[in-house]
Amino acid sequence: MSALIAIVITGLGTYFSRAVFIIALANRHIPPQLRLAMEYVGPSVMAALVVTMLVTPEGEVALGAPEGLALLTAALVVWRTRNHLLTIVLAMTVFWSLRAVLG
Amino acid sequence: MSATRTVIRQGIIDGLPIFLPAVPFTLVLAIAILESGMLPFVGWSSSPVVYGGAAQLTLITLLGDGVAMAAAVTAALIVNARHLMYSAAMAPTFQRQPGWFRWLGSYFLIDQVFALAIPRINDDPHLFRAYYLSVGLTFWVCWLVFTGAALIMGPVIPEAWGFGFAVPVMFMGLLVTGIDRWHKAAAALIAALATLLAADLPHRAGLLVGAVAGVLAGLILDRRR
Repeated sequence: MSALIAIVITGLGTYFSRAVFIIALANRHIPPQLRLAMEYVGPSVMAALVVTMLVTPEGEVALGAPEGLALLTAALVVWRTRNHLLTIVLAMTVFWSLRAVLG
Repeated sequence: MSATRTVIRQGIIDGLPIFLPAVPFTLVLAIAILESGMLPFVGWSSSPVVYGGAAQLTLITLLGDGVAMAAAVTAALIVNARHLMYSAAMAPTFQRQPGWFRWLGSYFLIDQVFALAIPRINDDPHLFRAYYLSVGLTFWVCWLVFTGAALIMGPVIPEAWGFGFAVPVMFMGLLVTGIDRWHKAAAALIAALATLLAADLPHRAGLLVGAVAGVLAGLILDRRR
């Protein structure tokens, strides 16, 4: 029961975080400076997410050659092709190959 | 009408390959739910109610570890606080949308939908809405079905295979496709470094520190143009 309550509260809080500016700024003037700042949200959050996923819950960084080269492969492939499926396949191939070789 | 149909199809075509890396994540979530001791259906209900994989995993893992409810909820909400930034970034384009779509669209505003929709914010409002709903519903249906299926099948793929690494790979792809000028690449680099430096912060708050640092760096670079 308490798990369900926790899930509902987290759900409400999450919805709030997604809706608050969309709803609150619906009929207001948005300053140009804020608009400009928002352009940097995507790249900044995505980069922070990638790094966060390479950090263990204990705060240790888990970035070896397989991870590093696979991420580099992903960046290059998606930059050249814009094809996400190909990017994932090639990057994971690099990741698994290097892991197998480096043991 | 056919333009609408084209963007709807494009939304599904863009959404499915991006969803693929989330499949191993659904298995991780299923393991966390099964180990937490809560009823599987209650754990699964976090998929429609919270609808955010990282926050769901944080909440359920901490509850399963016996952490107090308030602390577990706080941690999950800190993990999800980045959505505040997505909401602000999407607000200008949602100004041109009807009220019902502001409420419904907010619910679908996850990382992947944000990243795929942001290059289209200056499209015709009707076509933007069609694309957004197409991507959003594709993800939503897949997430609910796959998190449910993972619970029923149990952990079929051993964690040691490292499928989970597909998730950061997918975000790297979304990161690079969002970069259209060098300021943004620099902002991303600063964000990554700041996240790394703040890696020891509790509740994974380093994510927020990194994101804010990246946005500030971008603003400073833009001002010097």
